[in-house]
Amino acid sequence: MKQMHLTVNGKAVYASVEPRTHLADFLRESLNLTGTHLGCEHGVCGACTLIVDGVPVRSCITLAVACDGASVTTVEGLDHDEIAGALRAAFSREHGLQCGYCTPGMLASARDIVIRMPDATAQDIRVAMSGNLCRCTGYVGIVRAIESVISERKAKSLAPPSNPRTDVGPAGSGRAGPTAPVSAAAAPVAARAARRTEPAGAAGRVPEARRIVEPGVGAPQTTVHESFTVDHPRGEVWAFFGRLGEVATCLPGTSLLGTPTDNHIETRIRIKVGPMVSEFEGAADVVRDASSFSGVIRGTAEDARSRSSTRGEIRYALIEEQHGASTRVEVDVGFTLTGPLAQFSRSSIVHDIARRMAGAFAQNLHARLSRGRDAAGTPVAELDAGGLLVSALLSRIKRFFRGLLGR
Amino acid sequence: MKPAPFEYERPDDLDGLIALMRSEDLFVKMLAGGQSLGPMLNLRLVQPDLLVDITAIPELKRVEENSDAVVLGACVTHADIEDRRVPDATGGALPRVARAIAYRAVRNRGTLGGSLAHADPAADWVSCLAAIGAEVLILGASGRRTVPVDEFMTGVFQVALEPGELVEAVRIPRLSRGARWGFHKIARKTGEMAQAIGAVLHDMERGILRAVIGATESVPIVFSDAAALFGGNPEAGLAKAYDAGAAARALDDAGITDPVGRQLHLVALKRAINQAAQR
Repeated sequence: MKQMHLTVNGKAVYASVEPRTHLADFLRESLNLTGTHLGCEHGVCGACTLIVDGVPVRSCITLAVACDGASVTTVEGLDHDEIAGALRAAFSREHGLQCGYCTPGMLASARDIVIRMPDATAQDIRVAMSGNLCRCTGYVGIVRAIESVISERKAKSLAPPSNPRTDVGPAGSGRAGPTAPVSAAAAPVAARAARRTEPAGAAGRVPEARRIVEPGVGAPQTTVHESFTVDHPRGEVWAFFGRLGEVATCLPGTSLLGTPTDNHIETRIRIKVGPMVSEFEGAADVVRDASSFSGVIRGTAEDARSRSSTRGEIRYALIEEQHGASTRVEVDVGFTLTGPLAQFSRSSIVHDIARRMAGAFAQNLHARLSRGRDAAGTPVAELDAGGLLVSALLSRIKRFFRGLLGR
Repeated sequence: MKPAPFEYERPDDLDGLIALMRSEDLFVKMLAGGQSLGPMLNLRLVQPDLLVDITAIPELKRVEENSDAVVLGACVTHADIEDRRVPDATGGALPRVARAIAYRAVRNRGTLGGSLAHADPAADWVSCLAAIGAEVLILGASGRRTVPVDEFMTGVFQVALEPGELVEAVRIPRLSRGARWGFHKIARKTGEMAQAIGAVLHDMERGILRAVIGATESVPIVFSDAAALFGGNPEAGLAKAYDAGAAARALDDAGITDPVGRQLHLVALKRAINQAAQR
């Protein structure tokens, strides 16, 4: 817990907060100021927008403790504010609200426009209000309401443009001194880190047999194709693909949970993207067709830390090359990601990671096939998906093979 | 959707900050405005042991101006640049970019240093400042060093900071009066993350012609000498001399194959070039 001081709607508030509490939760849960609404809770919808040190701020992605010493105005504090009063009347008149959920955030942003942009056109207002989502009104009433307040103020010559902020740096920050001295702080932090419990589903837990979600629930969101050639006859490569554990651990960061059977495997995959670390645990079933030298691995997995899940399939086919002396391996990876990871990630980033995972998978398969059985079962280091090394290496290897095979 | 528990410290000088960054066996994250880290914490995609708030350190809000550059501390916000509370050495180029980052409520807290250190490929500053030719001033326990912005980001959410180092400031070169600048961002919705960014700087007096294809799947594609994009003859006029084939080949080299993505990148670059040509 950290001690902090805020001025909320003109009143001094002293409080002890858990550092992870964001400003909106602090206002709602500790001060009962429930006029601040939470929508998406990750900075997209604008419902939680309120005024900190005179300017609009997203209170769901602003820690309360980081605002130590700041002055906060919520919708409850705007009762006697002249501009907010004019906006309230205009919102009512122009049908600027229906359910009202977005309205406190709308008012905070609209008030800022009226103060800062006295010459704003309807288009300027739309751009400036684009960070506040409304699902009822279709925005026309909201834009009209703001326009009308701007023109009223102009008509009354109440409209000198002004900017309430003069300080440099994040609004709300820099108002208070340091927290406890470093030496005193470091010890409890270390102790707490040691206590830190493993997330549910991590090391030590014996997973129950997992059920594979039936495929065919929509097409995969992300698909990646990889192809490479190994200097081994097809029969040998086919036998290798039959050893499920060895194939699976070619996927970077993968370790086995239990002993795989011929057609079922349970694994954990660790993926690191910058500061994000995910540990997917899941199971896969395999169907092989010896007549066409192809197979399908279908599986599902969950990341207990972020409560994200994925389902997907890997299809592979082995094709003879150079009169049977070598084998081309065609791999198609398709998967769908759901939960917070999917919510956060944009498709291009997911695709880049998938491409590198598939690339590293192909590269490891190739290495393991070439080295023979000595290397079997050695888990491959996790993919640091942020790094360029793997993909750079892969392109080099690909170029090398292309050159070798004259493709 | 609440962050997993973490400890929080707010040092008020650089020595205190460096001491905290060296906390061994702890996952320590720096917090400036928190507009990128906040969502990741709320979604529990990032679970640090210790969050170090760097906004109480005066040196990190420092602003310096001299004849050939402006140095902006890491905690300078997008709104500070938009509102010109800090000096501008780019003839209005940076304030215009700042004005189109996310939303005003985000710009009031989001910082220059935080955006660079977060290294989201779709963010504006990594592409914009690479085109401007800015440098990142890095501070660590063993001293200071400088890295050009185009070498700073090394991958998705990954930068050239060693453990215990942080972004102290950004040095932005002063553009000549006649410098031409274009920046175009394509996003599905105003304020959302970019799908494609094109940027071009032609500063003839300083002999500089740079271009950037940004918001790719990974690091931006930077042409530190962009003459090849203009058939080696930019003097003929940027819009006229622009060779879309050269840009397409750069996309090939970067392994960008999705036809829609390619088209967006080429259009963004073309529009940035047209903008620069008109100035």
